[in-house]
Amino acid sequence: MTEKEAFETVVKILTPHAKNPAALASAKMDTNILDDLKVNSARLVDVVLAFEDAFDIEIADEEVDSVNTVGDCVRLILAKAS
Amino acid sequence: MQLALRDRFSLLVQREVGRLLGPVWIPAAAAFMRWRHGWRIVDAGAARREFARLRREPQAPLLVCANHLTMVDSFLIAIALGSPWWYVSHFSALPWNTPERDNFSRTWWLRVATYVMKCIPVERGGDRREVGRTLERFIYMLGRGDVGLIFPEGGRSRSGRIDPEAATYGVGRVVKSLPGCRVLCVYLRGEGQAAYSDAPARGERFHVLFASLEPKTEHAGMRGSLAITRQILARLAALETRWFDARQ
Repeated sequence: MTEKEAFETVVKILTPHAKNPAALASAKMDTNILDDLKVNSARLVDVVLAFEDAFDIEIADEEVDSVNTVGDCVRLILAKAS
Repeated sequence: MQLALRDRFSLLVQREVGRLLGPVWIPAAAAFMRWRHGWRIVDAGAARREFARLRREPQAPLLVCANHLTMVDSFLIAIALGSPWWYVSHFSALPWNTPERDNFSRTWWLRVATYVMKCIPVERGGDRREVGRTLERFIYMLGRGDVGLIFPEGGRSRSGRIDPEAATYGVGRVVKSLPGCRVLCVYLRGEGQAAYSDAPARGERFHVLFASLEPKTEHAGMRGSLAITRQILARLAALETRWFDARQ
């Protein structure tokens, strides 16, 4: 899986949770999920579970602590999937 | 995650400051609640006995999980589970909790109050590392034999009722991190409380229902954390049903 593929899937998963569609449309690796996309922090769990299902990986609670940006998600997924 | 020595030290200092000042602030806070606001918990006896029983079994950590309707719920729940003077001599039983930082950092006296009241403020929606560090600090104190209090919905119930879909993963993460962790579910509600608010109405009379459980899951990671939180929320929802059924 390439970084571009992972990025596109991450953005697709974030789409129903993002309350700022403009920021989502121009999302980059350094786009902050909570501050820029306005994803509710309580729903982060749904996002992470969707990552697990989409990429067939398992993400530990502590690993979520390092996830703030779209790029953090992509890097975590690529590291887990490799 | 290994908690930094500095974090451990600051938590133990906070605990000791709260304990040493306990004979002053605990009865004063309870008197303020009772005489200034007229809040009264009318059937706390059974909950206090169950809480004391669970505390006498020291083999595993104890976490209190409750419904959440006002910003003073933490203290009301603490008083529902033990008398003020009991907490003075059993300070480890007074639950640690994780209030929203913005709600309790506006004035110096609120900051002092939350410090002695065993609060570890958290910025909801803030940097995930900082939120994770707050949870690790909370877990550390429970692992040392103190009691913790968390609201599994993550915030006040906007609908005024338990929302099982509002499950956050933090509670499950705490339980999973503490092998054998027991959970005391507490449903506290005033007779006149129809919805969430900043504070209960003056003269509110509260009733408390409770149930204990030891959540288990076969799942790992966040899926396991979510499964545990949902078990707790389901138990709280059952208590809520009992609460409303008893008042029909």
